[in-house]
Amino acid sequence: MAVTASRTQEPPAVQAEFRASPSGLVARAVVATLLVAIVFTIPLITDTVWDDRVSLAAIFVIIGLSINVLTGYAGQISLGHQAFVGIGAFMSAYMVGTDGPGASFFVALPVAGLTGAALALCLGLVALRIRGLYLALITLAFGLVAQETIFNIRSFTGGGAGAEAPRPTGFVSNQAYAYLCLLFVGLFLLIDWRLAKSKAGRAIVAVRNNERVAATLGINVMAYKLFAFALSGFFAGVAGSLFAHQTKFVQAQNFDFTTTLLWVLMTVVGGLGSRAGVVVGSAFFALFQYLGDLLVKIFTFGQVHIDKITIAEYAPLVGAVLLLLTVTRYPGGIGQQLLPIRRWLSGGPFVDPKHRRKKRGAGAAGAAIAQEAPLEPVGEREAEPTEVLERVGASSEEPAAAVDAANDGQADTAVDAANDGQAETAVTTQMPAVTVAAEEKTVRRGLRAFRRKG
Amino acid sequence: MLKDVVYGLFAGATYGMLAVGLVLVYKGTRVFNFAQGEFGTLGAFFVFWLFDQVHLPYGVAAILAVALVVVVGLVMERIVIRPLLTAPRVTVLVATVGAALVMISLEIIIGKAVPRTLAPALVTKNLIEIFGVAISYQQLLLVGVLLAIGVGLVVFFRTDRGLAILATSQDSYATRVVGISVPATSRLIWGSAAFLGGLAGILQAPVVGVFGPAFMTALPGAALIPAFTAAVIGGMDSLVGAFVGGEIVGLAQGLGFHFLGLNHGVPGAQDLTVFVALLIVLLARPQGLFGKEVA
Repeated sequence: MAVTASRTQEPPAVQAEFRASPSGLVARAVVATLLVAIVFTIPLITDTVWDDRVSLAAIFVIIGLSINVLTGYAGQISLGHQAFVGIGAFMSAYMVGTDGPGASFFVALPVAGLTGAALALCLGLVALRIRGLYLALITLAFGLVAQETIFNIRSFTGGGAGAEAPRPTGFVSNQAYAYLCLLFVGLFLLIDWRLAKSKAGRAIVAVRNNERVAATLGINVMAYKLFAFALSGFFAGVAGSLFAHQTKFVQAQNFDFTTTLLWVLMTVVGGLGSRAGVVVGSAFFALFQYLGDLLVKIFTFGQVHIDKITIAEYAPLVGAVLLLLTVTRYPGGIGQQLLPIRRWLSGGPFVDPKHRRKKRGAGAAGAAIAQEAPLEPVGEREAEPTEVLERVGASSEEPAAAVDAANDGQADTAVDAANDGQAETAVTTQMPAVTVAAEEKTVRRGLRAFRRKG
Repeated sequence: MLKDVVYGLFAGATYGMLAVGLVLVYKGTRVFNFAQGEFGTLGAFFVFWLFDQVHLPYGVAAILAVALVVVVGLVMERIVIRPLLTAPRVTVLVATVGAALVMISLEIIIGKAVPRTLAPALVTKNLIEIFGVAISYQQLLLVGVLLAIGVGLVVFFRTDRGLAILATSQDSYATRVVGISVPATSRLIWGSAAFLGGLAGILQAPVVGVFGPAFMTALPGAALIPAFTAAVIGGMDSLVGAFVGGEIVGLAQGLGFHFLGLNHGVPGAQDLTVFVALLIVLLARPQGLFGKEVA
């Protein structure tokens, strides 16, 4: 199949064609450094209120990455992420608190991460048996149980009253804490990046695309699924710990149902499977209510001031509408829009070379598909970025969807990093056979139904 | 204990009512509709607005409110569900969550997050006693409406229209070949689901006492997850199962509250029982009690 065929072949010629000039490389390095530098200078130039918001954005980014590991890479939907973030927050508060061991923050943080991982692992065990729609339901119910039962155990979380979580010495100021959070964002981005490039990362994605095919390739489906859950839980637990000490006081109501849905939608809008998209999406939703106020003030020259409550009310609406747009129109999310920039920064051309090539040779290559699916414009179809979101549900239901497992755009998360253009040719050659068979079957079935009826 | 059981069984009627809507959508489109609870909340809001603010007679207000909810359901079908007709089912599920969020945020923006009270359709003063538990006429009305809907739906699925819905979900291509319009069927399904959801919300809001944004989905009504559990226990493709499942969930909640919550002080005992019930059913018998297939 596409996966095995491309392994043995050379990387496509398109990639070899383009080589950035030395000055181009310098330009890329300068822009990349500037981007990082800008993020790290924000806490320096902003006031202490905004420093706190930077921390919050950083925490949201880690949560987004956590959901991305589970939903984007492993294709397991989670509507109960508040359980993992919340358990991390309460564990951290418990560890440093007077009722608990009274440990330091730097002990509490990894413990919180491990607790999140352990809880996620429990849910992962369930996910081995239950999948698809039922898993979505289970995670939602699990989140509610965590919120109503676990977070209200008096001896652990202080019941409804909440628990105190003081900041560690040296990081008491908002500015210092913002840097601490940014540091963790950097760390997790590094882990996430290396994971996606590693054997484990590719195995997880293979399991998402088609469990059966992955198993035949010798991938331990069970182990990698559990690993994805545990890793996602660890990210979430650490994010919870950072959140607890950022607000300095945790309560069960911080982790309610709508918050979880906001986290899920910021990840989907950011673009499942796209690291850059998730980072931008998460930060955007964390800061939305403050940015909204700022933008209104700037554009009306300080004449109109909308109070914070009004904007906070509108935030979920904007998010939900963006989610619906992402799901129905732009399945790649923000990550899809960022793709040219990302490609350019990593040493490639700004414009997709494949896109250009396809335009030239569209006549011959596209003819085969055009015959089978005359309603679909060929050029558009091939230029389309991968629809990760669609593949979330495709794993067990549509083995055919696994054929376009490795596509452009998502090369780093695809089964084989090197088979960029290659998989596509495999798809082109395989498509007609599959569609012909399917069409024939449906027509025959339709006729049979017709005969029975009349 | 008997008291908690009776309470549970009456709560189960509400779950059954939402579950019927979920089963209907599942039978027709093979999708889990997470916006079903919000249809109910919208219904309660519309009645509150028409009865308390516009001062229409209660019956007129209720009918208009249900009609408005049906309109919302049709709009949602057109702009959210129709573009995703061929999309994977989990994608559609995320889309229904998005639609629910849009409704919740609109409720918060327009209605503000204030608890309100909705007048019941029937006077609450006259209570009857069942096993020493005071039951309001509103609750009896809810059970009555539920039974009527149940009989109506079972009959409906034996008619040509009902069979068309089943046919669409099994093979939309073949259904088109025999001359059944898939979009029209989809409209019918989502319109009916919105109708059932709206009705459930209008009947449930006075029973809960107070209602606010998202009251059917999250707290204080919190009926969506129990309703899903009920539908799963009964079998996602079985209408009878939805009723029975609703009662089972209600009973489990009553017993859970009595033994865990009251006797041992476990917080959120009801949610815990529902979760455990859901887990056991999915692990042991994923097709449910009356269902034929695994979703």
